[in-house]
Amino acid sequence: MTNPNHGDGSGEILGEWATTVEYFLHIAILIGIYLILATGLNLIAGYAGLLSIAHAAFYGIGAYTAALMALNLHSPILVNLICAMLLAGMLGAVVGVPSLRIRDDYFVIATFAFQVIVFNVLNNWVSFTGGPMGLPGIPQPVLFGWIVSSHFEFLLLVGCCCVAVLWICHRLVCSPFGRVLKAIREDEVFAQSAGKNVAAYKVLVSVIGAAMAAVAGVLYAHYISFIDPTSFTVMESIFIISIVIIGGAGSLWGPVVGAVVLVTLPELLRFVGLPSAVAANARQILYGAALVACMMWRPQGLVGDYSFQKGGGRQ
Amino acid sequence: MQLAANALVAAGTILLVAVGFALVFGMVRFFHFAHGVIFTAAAYLAFVFQTWVGLPLIAAVVMAVVGAAVIGCAIEIGVYRPLRAKVASPLVLLLASLGVYVVLQNLISVVCGDDTKQLRSSEIPETINILGARVTWVQLATIAVAVVLVATLAAVVQKTRLGQAMRAVADDPQLASVSGIESDRIILLTFAIGSALAGVGGILVAFDVDMTPTMGMNPLMLGMIAVIVGGVRSIPGIVLAALLLACAQQATVWVFGSAWQDAVAFLVLLAFLLVRARGFVGRGTQEAIA
Repeated sequence: MTNPNHGDGSGEILGEWATTVEYFLHIAILIGIYLILATGLNLIAGYAGLLSIAHAAFYGIGAYTAALMALNLHSPILVNLICAMLLAGMLGAVVGVPSLRIRDDYFVIATFAFQVIVFNVLNNWVSFTGGPMGLPGIPQPVLFGWIVSSHFEFLLLVGCCCVAVLWICHRLVCSPFGRVLKAIREDEVFAQSAGKNVAAYKVLVSVIGAAMAAVAGVLYAHYISFIDPTSFTVMESIFIISIVIIGGAGSLWGPVVGAVVLVTLPELLRFVGLPSAVAANARQILYGAALVACMMWRPQGLVGDYSFQKGGGRQ
Repeated sequence: MQLAANALVAAGTILLVAVGFALVFGMVRFFHFAHGVIFTAAAYLAFVFQTWVGLPLIAAVVMAVVGAAVIGCAIEIGVYRPLRAKVASPLVLLLASLGVYVVLQNLISVVCGDDTKQLRSSEIPETINILGARVTWVQLATIAVAVVLVATLAAVVQKTRLGQAMRAVADDPQLASVSGIESDRIILLTFAIGSALAGVGGILVAFDVDMTPTMGMNPLMLGMIAVIVGGVRSIPGIVLAALLLACAQQATVWVFGSAWQDAVAFLVLLAFLLVRARGFVGRGTQEAIA
C-alpha cells in the first residue's frame, strides 16, 4: 500500500502511524467485502443447502459491471450497483435452475462449470473486459455529492452495506421464507408435499445471494480501482465457501465470524516475518487446512448449525 | 490431420486422469478434487528426483509415480477414512478434498516456486510425421501409455479376483465386508492405483508442455467431465467421452481459438448434466438426479 504521508516533513513517526491506521482500515474494508459475499452465499448454501462454488463469478460480474459502467458511461455508483445486482441476479437464476434437477455434489460441479465459464469470458473477451490486463482507473464513488475518497469514508460505505445485507438476511431468515428454505435443506420431498413451490424458492434464493455478491463486487471495484480476472477465480470461490463453512453455515453470525477470522489470520503471518513471495501461498494453505480440519472435527463451523450432512454417508 | 492427432493426445491425458478418478469415485462416491493435485505432484516429484536428487530419468519417473500413489494413500488414510468412519456426507468429503487440493497445490508452490519447470532437455523436441500430422515422441507415448494402462485396468477390474473385490466394495462396502473382503484395504488400493494413473498423466504432460503448480486443475476438470458424460461405471463410456471431449476442444481451437477450450468443455458438461445426467452408457449416475 502506498503511503501518501511518508516523508512529507511531518515526521517519520506520524507517517508510520498513519500507515498503520490505513492498514487496519484496509483490513476492515476487506472484512466487510468478504462479509457481504459470505452472507449471500450463506443464504444459498447454509440455509437452502445448495453448496455452490460459483460465488466469485457473481462477485466478478458485479465488479466488472460497475467498472465498465463507471469507465464508459461515467454513471454514479448507485446506478452501477442497481445494474450489477440485476445482472448478477439474472445469472443467479441461471445457476439456480440446474439445482432443480441436479442433486448435491453434482450441483457443486455444475456451479463449478459456471464459475470456469465466467472466468473464461472475463479473461478472453479482451475487447470488452480488457482480458488479463484488467480494467484500470475505476473512479472513486460519488454518493449524493459525497465523494468517498479516504479509507475511512470507504469503510463507512462498506459498513453501511454490511449492515443492510445482514439486516436483509436476518429478515429473510426469520420470515416464513427462511423456514421454507431450511425445510428444503433438510427434506426437499417433505417441503414439496407441504405444498411449497420448491423450485421457485431455490431460484429465488440463488438470485438474492448472487445480487449480494454483486454488491461486494461493486464495492471492491470502486475501492481497489483496478480489477482483473485473477480476483474472481475458482480459488476465490473456494475461499468464500470456506468463510461460510468455517464461520458456520446456516447462522446469521457464521459468515461474520468466518470473514473476520479468515481475513485477519493470514495477516498475522506478516508479523511472523514470512517473505511476501510465500505469504500468498501460506494464506491459501492456512484456509485449506482450516477447511479440512473443520470438516474433520467441527463440520458445523465455529458458530453454525448446519453441517452438510444431508443424506450422510452410504451406510 | 493435425487436429485429429492433437485430439488423440489430449484424449490420452484426459483418459489417464478420468479413469483413475472414476475408479475412486465409483468406490467412495464423492468428488475427489485432490486427484488433480496428485497429477501435479507427480510431475514435480519427477522434477525434484531428476534435478535436485540427480537420479536418472527413468528412475525419477518411477519414483514419482510411486510417490503419487503414496500421496493418494496418505490422503485416504489421513482425511477420508476418518471422515467415512463418521459417516460423513459426500458434500463434507468433497469440501475436505477441496481443502486438501488447496493445501497441496500451495505447498508445491512454496517448495518449487511458481515459475515453469521442465523435465525435457532444452532443445526443441524432434517431431515425426504420421499421415501429415506432426507429433513428438512424448505425444505418441502419451497415447500409447493411455491405451495400454486403461486396457490393462479394464481387464483387471473385469477378470481378476482383485477386480471382483473392487466391484463388490463399490457396490456395497458392508456386504463386501460380510463376505470377508477388507473394504478399507481395497479402497486404499484403489486410491493407490488411481493416483498412480493420474501421476503417469501428470509426468507425460510435464514432458510435453512443462509444469506449473496449477497445471492439475484443468485435467482434473476435463477428467471429471469425461467421467460424468461417460458414466462412472463404464470404462468404454469414459473412453468415448474423453475422445469426444478432446475432439470438441480441438474443434473449438479451430473455430474460436484456443482460449475458449475450457468454456466449451464446461458448456458440454452443463448441457449433459441438464439433459442426460446419466451419461451415455447409463447406470452409474442415477443418484445425480433428484
